[in-house]
Formats: sequence, C-alpha cells, structure tokens
Amino acid sequence: MTLIPLLFNGLSYGVLFFCMAVGLTVTMGMMRFTNLAHVSLCMLGGYFLVQLTAVWSVPFLVMLPLVFVLTAALSAALEVAVLRHFYRSDQLSQVLLTIGLLYMSITAAAWFWGPSYKAVQLPQWLVGQVEFAGMSFERYRTFLLVAGAAITAAIFYGLERTSFGATVRACVDNQRVAAASGLNTSLVYTLTFAIGGGLGGLGGALSANMIGLDPNFPLRTLVYVLIIVSVGGMGSIMGTLAAAMLVGVLDVLGKYYLPSYGGMMIYLIAIGVLIWRPEGFFRMKGQHA
Amino acid sequence: MKRSLTALAAAGFIAGIGMAPAIAQEEFKIGVLMSYSGISATIGASVDEALAHYMEEHGDVVAGRKIVLVRRDTTGPNPEVSRRAAIELITREKVNVIIGPDYTPNVLGLAPVLNEMKTPAIITGAASDGIVQAQSPYYLRTFYSVSQNIKPLAKWAYDEGFKTIVHVTADYGSGINAEEVFKATYEEAGGKIVEAIRVPLRSPEFSGYMQRIKDANPDAVMVYMPLGELPLMFLKAYSDAGLNKSDIKLIGVGDLTDETILDAAGDTALGAMTAAVYSPSDPSPENQAFIKVQDEKFGGEPRVSLSHVAGWDAINIIYEGLKAQEGKPFDPDAFIAFAKGREFTSPRGPIKVDPETGDLIQNLYFRKAEKVDGEVRNIPFHVVPAVVP
Repeated sequence: MTLIPLLFNGLSYGVLFFCMAVGLTVTMGMMRFTNLAHVSLCMLGGYFLVQLTAVWSVPFLVMLPLVFVLTAALSAALEVAVLRHFYRSDQLSQVLLTIGLLYMSITAAAWFWGPSYKAVQLPQWLVGQVEFAGMSFERYRTFLLVAGAAITAAIFYGLERTSFGATVRACVDNQRVAAASGLNTSLVYTLTFAIGGGLGGLGGALSANMIGLDPNFPLRTLVYVLIIVSVGGMGSIMGTLAAAMLVGVLDVLGKYYLPSYGGMMIYLIAIGVLIWRPEGFFRMKGQHA
Repeated sequence: MKRSLTALAAAGFIAGIGMAPAIAQEEFKIGVLMSYSGISATIGASVDEALAHYMEEHGDVVAGRKIVLVRRDTTGPNPEVSRRAAIELITREKVNVIIGPDYTPNVLGLAPVLNEMKTPAIITGAASDGIVQAQSPYYLRTFYSVSQNIKPLAKWAYDEGFKTIVHVTADYGSGINAEEVFKATYEEAGGKIVEAIRVPLRSPEFSGYMQRIKDANPDAVMVYMPLGELPLMFLKAYSDAGLNKSDIKLIGVGDLTDETILDAAGDTALGAMTAAVYSPSDPSPENQAFIKVQDEKFGGEPRVSLSHVAGWDAINIIYEGLKAQEGKPFDPDAFIAFAKGREFTSPRGPIKVDPETGDLIQNLYFRKAEKVDGEVRNIPFHVVPAVVP
C-alpha cells in the first residue's frame, strides 16, 4: 500500500518539473536557442508569488495567473532586449550568454530579496493532509496534480486547436517557409517565449513551497530541468511531460526503496535513456538542422 | 575674543595635522574570511554584525593598535577560493590573524597556508571532529565539534525514553561523522537505530524518505544536516507528511532549527527538540544584553544565531590576546599559547579554550521550538554544563 502514496508524491513532483521545463523545450526545439536563464524566470515566478502574498495579500488562486502574466511580460522584454539578437549565434555563445544572465539573476535576487530562504504563505485549505481509503495525501500535492492536468490540457489545446498554435507549429516545422507564407515569425517567437517563460514562472511559483525558494534556486533546478528536456526530446511537449513524470516518480521511488543511492536515480535514468535514444523519448518530426 | 578663539582653533587644527603622523597608531589587521555570497551569505552577514557590535562596545584601539578588518568571501564550501583569499590576506593585506573560515573543506584547505605563514585563525563555522589543533597548531574554534554536541544528545535521547530511532543525515563528511558518533553512543546506551538514511546534499524532494520514516515508525527521528536549505526542506516535508502530528518525536543538532532559517521554517519547526551550544532565548544577563543591543543596532535581521556568537567570541579572544602582548610585536605562537586554557564569559555562557583540541569547553543547551510572541523560538529546557569537545 505504500506504492500509491509514493506514486502520488512522484507524479505531483513531476508536475513541477513539467511546468518548469516545458518553456525551455519549446525555445530549444523551436528556436534552436539554448536558454539556460529559463530557470531564472522560474525563480522570479517564485519571488513574485512571495512578494504578492506578503505585500498585497492577493488570494492564492488569483495570484497564480498574475504570476504567469508578470513572468511572461518579463520574458518578452528579455527576448526583445537581449536574446533575439543571439538567435543566429552558435550554441556556445548562447550558453555563455544565458549562464551569465543566470548568475546575474542570482545576485539580483539576493540583492532584492536577501540571501535567505523565503517562505511561501499558503491558504489554509492547501495545508495538511486529506485521508482517502486509509491513506493520507498532502493537500498541496493534490492541488499540484489538478493544476498540472489543467496546465497540460491548456497547452495541448492551445497548440493543437487554436490558430496561434498552428502558427507556432508552422514556425517549429520550418521557420523559413512560415516566414515566406507571410507569418510574422519574430512576433510568434516573442509570444512563444513569453508563454514559455510564464509557464516557467508558474512552475517556479508552485515549486517554491515544495523545494524552497532562495537566490540559488536556478542552479538547484537547472540540472533537473536540462535532464528532463534532453530525456524528453527537445521541442516535444509530450516527451517533456513523460520525462518529467518519469523523473519525478523514479526520484521518489528511488529514495524510498534505495535510500542510500536514491539521489543517483535520475542521473542513471538520464544516462540510460540517452544511450537508448540519443534524441530523447519523442523525436521531433521534420526536424531540420 | 571670538577671533582669538578661531585662531586658537585653527592653530590647534594645524598642530593636529602636524602631529598626526607622529602619533599614528600601528595598525593591527584582522582578516575576516566568511561566506558573503552564495547559499550561506547569512553567515557572513551575521558574523559582520557581531564584529561591528563588539568593536563599538570595546573600541577599535587595543593595546595601542588600531584594529582594521579586511573581508574576503569564501563563497561557501570552496577550499580553492578560501585558500587563495587567505594567501592574499596574509601576503598582500598583511593581516595578523584570521577570523574564519567556515565549512570543513575550507578549514582543511587552509591549514597548510597557516602553518607556513604562522598566522592564527579562529574557525567560526565548521563542526567536523578533529579539524582544529589536529590540522594546524594555529587553529582555534569558537563553534562546536560534532561529538561535543552529539554524544550528550544521544545519551539524553535514550534517557528520555526513545528506544528506537531513525537517523537522518546528509551524505557528506561531517554527516557521516555525526552518524557514526550518534550510533556508537546511542547503541552503547541501549537504544536501537532502526534505519540510517543519508540524503544527498542537493536533494530538494524528501517525500520518499518521509514514507520510510512512517513505515519504520520509530520513537524519534534524529536529524543532523548542514545549516541552510536542507534542514528547511526537511522540516517542510516532515510536516507536509503529517509526521509532526504523529507520536514520533523530532530531535537533532541545533542547525536543524537554527535561528537563520527559523522564520522561513515557521510552524513546521514547532516541537523539534535540538541540542546546541548557544540558545538566543537563554535568560542569562550577558546573553539578554547581547541580544538587546543586536536587535537595536541591526533590527534583528538576520536573527541572532550561533554565527553571531561565534564571531563575537573570536574577536574577544583576539582582543584579549592583543592586550596580553601590549608593547611587543605580535607573536602568533604566544597568541595561541595565551588563548589555550583561558576562560571567557560569552553570551552563550562560560567558555574555556581546551588546550588540547583548540575547541571550546562550553554548555550544551537542549531547546524546544515553540511559538512565543508570534515567532518561533528555541526555548531551552535542559542544560549540560561544560561539555568537553
């Protein structure tokens, strides 16, 4: 009977990773842009949440969309001001640029919010456990699963059923043809980037309560997010979802069944999957160099 | 009248300028080697506050020497950076004594430098056993040693009626050291460790471990973790899993509920019983006076913690050591010899520098995290006096 709570904990953990990684997988897959500073946006989402609760005491459920909008706006600004000038650079320059931004964000966060951990004030209805079939489940994790399902549904609906989604897919498949057909690709890029950043901020805000929020947040999460993106396959949302859930579940299971080696589990999965399928779970269709 | 006064003042002023070089005091430089950035920047900030507080109270001139602090950042557990910073402090800045470093790896990395340059250093933040005098004759420590804290804690836990324990520590040198010491003492007393969990240092997700604790259902959970994110995440996961409402008691070394993380931990820390060499809630007059000035000067941010007191005691030893060498050029060997065996009064209670290990012989406070005046505090309920390192 311990397996069910473990799976529950693992899946809710996976939701956090999915939210944080999905924006990165889109920018890496679609724009071929390696944006390591994506995790900084996640951290900022967390700090926005703390700031909004502490200063304006906005209700939690109103706050999450607000965090999304704020981080999305910030991502768009970042894309327009800095990142878009480097789309044509080689990957090493992109990595150096964005890792620099990441370190800047760490120092900036320490300056604004201080170096210590910030606690997230949750509404009472998200604190504690619920009993179900003789097992206790954390309310916050239940909420994470519901929120995760809603976010996933929204992403898939947006990509598959809306004309903006069709435009994004067109740009992912072949940017030059899309531009030649009259699509404003640079606007699509900015918007996609904003949405990816916004989702990251939302993921960061949701994880702040579970994995802690301090200026070092980006460095702590970067490895996990990169593993999920590469295991899932760059540009594949389905793959990112699968990889995030797999990493979340196996991390929790590993820590339970093999407490001495549990921390190594995710690295072993990453190595295994990448040997088996170097492109990740889901190879992108029609990928071009 | 007025004019003559002005003239007199001017003359005095000019004379003052002229005299200045003649009476210029010899400088005595203290290097402060702490984490000022990164995960433990709070430690540097805390030590700085304590040093500023001490120097304001005791003046910045000791035995005719003007005290000057020179700060360097270790950036966290980073022996390469600390070593470079220490060499720079000693050779370029010509510091006579160092306060710091923090973290065991930094302490180990620095030892050869101190031996070669004959520069005393007072460690304020690394707890491993056998890293003080055993590493360098120039090391002293105003922190605590793992054994000093854990041996009495293990005995107390057994006497308190905890017959089975799950031991949780972080998977690093000091953590394994702590686990061995606890296990030996506790099992000798008659208790049983039903499970020993070592969590990775960078592991933000604890729910798997919590399930293990639930299944083992011990009398108590004993936690030893380095100051910072891990204890915070542990407390969070522990209460999220509902374990803080179960019959299982949570015990640990003071870092688990250190004042630097207590505000962030909030209610999740309530009920945790920890053993620490300092307790800010201790009612002794020295401590209360210390806390009062700290809060007035710095607004209580970060909260007064062991790091503050470790910095305070370190500079106190330096001041006293300098007074003993009044009028003579600074002799590092005589300084260490002076400090050994000496007794001081500290906000943490009476302390004595153990001549053998270079550690402090000091009180160990058992505290319980409780909510007082709307904030969580460690309230002492039991004291073991003069614990040897």
